[in-house]
Amino acid sequence: MRNGFQATDNSQPNGSEKQRKTHYSRLFRRFILLTIVCSLIPLLLVGWGINIHYTRFSNERMINAFQIQVEYHRKIIELFLKKHSSKLHLIAQSHPKDYLLSGSNLNNIFEILNREYRSFTDLGIIGADGYHLKYIGPYDLMPNNYADTFWFKEVMEKDLFISDMFMGFRKVPHFIIAVTRLEKGEKWILRATIETEVFRSLVENVRIGNTGEVYLLNTKGIFQTSPRFSGKIMDKAPTPIESFREGINVRIIEKHTDHHGKKYPRQIYSQTWLKDPPWLLVVKQNYDEAFSEVNHANYATLILLHLSALIILIVAVFITRHMISVIKNRDDEADKLNRQLLQTSKLASIGELSAGVAHEINNPLAIILTEKQILLDMTNDTAATTPEIKGQLSESLEQIDVQIKRCKRITHGLLRFSRRTQSVIETINTNQFISEVIELLEREAGSGGIKFFTDFEENLPNILSDPSQLQQVMLNLITNSIDAHDDKAYGSIHVRTRSNNQQGVEIVVADTGMGISPENMDKIFDPFFTTKPVGKGTGLGLSICYSTIKNLGGDISVWSEVGKGSEFKVFLPFSPPPHLLEGTADNPKDYQMDIATVSS
Amino acid sequence: MKGAKILLVDDEVVFTDNVTKLLTSRGYRASAVNSGDSAIRLLEKENFDVIVLDLKMPGMDGLATLKEIKKIGLFTETLILTGHGSIDSALEAIKLGAYDYLTKPCEIDELVAKIEGAWEKKDDQEKKDIEEKIHKLVESPASAFDLFPKNKKKR
Repeated sequence: MRNGFQATDNSQPNGSEKQRKTHYSRLFRRFILLTIVCSLIPLLLVGWGINIHYTRFSNERMINAFQIQVEYHRKIIELFLKKHSSKLHLIAQSHPKDYLLSGSNLNNIFEILNREYRSFTDLGIIGADGYHLKYIGPYDLMPNNYADTFWFKEVMEKDLFISDMFMGFRKVPHFIIAVTRLEKGEKWILRATIETEVFRSLVENVRIGNTGEVYLLNTKGIFQTSPRFSGKIMDKAPTPIESFREGINVRIIEKHTDHHGKKYPRQIYSQTWLKDPPWLLVVKQNYDEAFSEVNHANYATLILLHLSALIILIVAVFITRHMISVIKNRDDEADKLNRQLLQTSKLASIGELSAGVAHEINNPLAIILTEKQILLDMTNDTAATTPEIKGQLSESLEQIDVQIKRCKRITHGLLRFSRRTQSVIETINTNQFISEVIELLEREAGSGGIKFFTDFEENLPNILSDPSQLQQVMLNLITNSIDAHDDKAYGSIHVRTRSNNQQGVEIVVADTGMGISPENMDKIFDPFFTTKPVGKGTGLGLSICYSTIKNLGGDISVWSEVGKGSEFKVFLPFSPPPHLLEGTADNPKDYQMDIATVSS
Repeated sequence: MKGAKILLVDDEVVFTDNVTKLLTSRGYRASAVNSGDSAIRLLEKENFDVIVLDLKMPGMDGLATLKEIKKIGLFTETLILTGHGSIDSALEAIKLGAYDYLTKPCEIDELVAKIEGAWEKKDDQEKKDIEEKIHKLVESPASAFDLFPKNKKKR
């Protein structure tokens, strides 16, 4: 047997291993790419599409809502103005001038008008000459002549006039409503000042969020109410005013800076013209606030979308990694199987060849042996030769004998390897069986400072196998283990038995020897592979172990590390292959092959 | 009777010559033939105590020869000597009635020992047979007639 596995430690970097790694990482990348293309891109496209659609839809809704709000405010303002001008109209049309001027009649009407809430500041009747005929209110306006005021001319022409905000005689922003009546060929005017606070609160108290404001502008762009942020009543609005237009105009004003250097954020801006007076109602709000809900929902969906994309990506990475590892395991297994198959077929063909060679060599050997015998007989019989010749002759013959025996050992080993042996199947108690083999070898090993340790599983089931062949295998393995300690003074051999998966038993022979170098690993079961000096080992021991174990339906594997030791693991089924069991009964035990150990 | 009468059957002429020589020098009456056919032809005429038979031969091989020998029904023991590694065929031979087998190459002493064993067995068998026949003859003298045609055929 061979076992002096030389401890050459040049485990070269495996090129194919590297290649395989790149192969797997390429596969990994391809899978990931495929996942992205097939699931992430559609997801993102659909997500983004829905998001864009939803954003547009909700923007429209927002703008609509804004429009409705503006419309509502316009209605309120118009209603307010209409209500008050109608009241004045009614008074002027239903009461003659004389009645209103006499006594406290106008006073009574003024009180009735303000009974519910104070909406008129004062009330006065002005004659065609522009002087007050009668005045009820907090100011002393009787001496004032209005004939030259802007509104006087207007009202004389139009019958109804609602003024812009103006300071007038009293130096407070206010506006008036004036109506005329033609009585007996003469026009007179009923003029009232609207309680500014009431009107302004109607517009100014509208609060839209934190940044929204509502205000009125006249045609010249002067604030008719105080806006919340943009300025003060009677100020000029910073933005130029547009000409009259029907309907409600809503638009988004982008971020900008006005000529005073004041910065404005993006705003939603809506305006509509009142008909009478021609005031512009403006409602605006910072875009971010107005659309905060929409934006919020948008962000939420986008975050959700990208989060799910990320999750898919992560899951894809994990799944792919798992898949790759499964594929890798499969490949490894297939590789292992292939290697085993290759090994088996290689050994089978070597076995065929060996059997032929061994047989062909046996015949000439037999002849040489007979020739030797004839010569030996002759030498013994004849006394004629000199002692030197006789001595040399017998020495040569002895050497011939030794060499023939060596050849015979080889050919018999080969024949055994090629499985041309008959199995004799018996019930074997594995633990007891191994103990006996160890006992056989213990003396030899003990002298080399090698100790045996056994670790047997209790109640190990018996197996059906060929004891003589198994003995051969165990002897070979253990002698190998002993020989692996060649250069060591001490060592140990552990022999372990275990039941394996309800299918058979496992026998492990582990040594603390020199180990097997990686490049020899593939060859150790090949016939004639040996690292022992010439003539010391035939290189058949492990090959015989291999073929014997395979023949018995088992398996043998090896683990080794240079400098640490080797471990041979033999698996044996509880029952050998059926063809070995056939005819067990009528195979006389006496005719099994002699089990001389094929020792080196 | 001096040494046993031995017939070597092997296609290797040098081998049979040598073994014949060696056996003769050890006091046996050995002769050799180099094929199964010639062995059978010889056995038609002559009886041997022990036949040493090679399994693998051109033409009629060892097993076929053995079958033929058994057909003839001689008092002889066959020893299988083979370079063939197949124990299966050796066992087959033993099932067919061979005495034992030896694998080539083997020492002449081994061969001689086996020949001695075979010879002894053959003698025992012969004696037993004769005893049986005598016993039969004593029991029913008429059966003596049965002996004649057989004897006639034998020689």
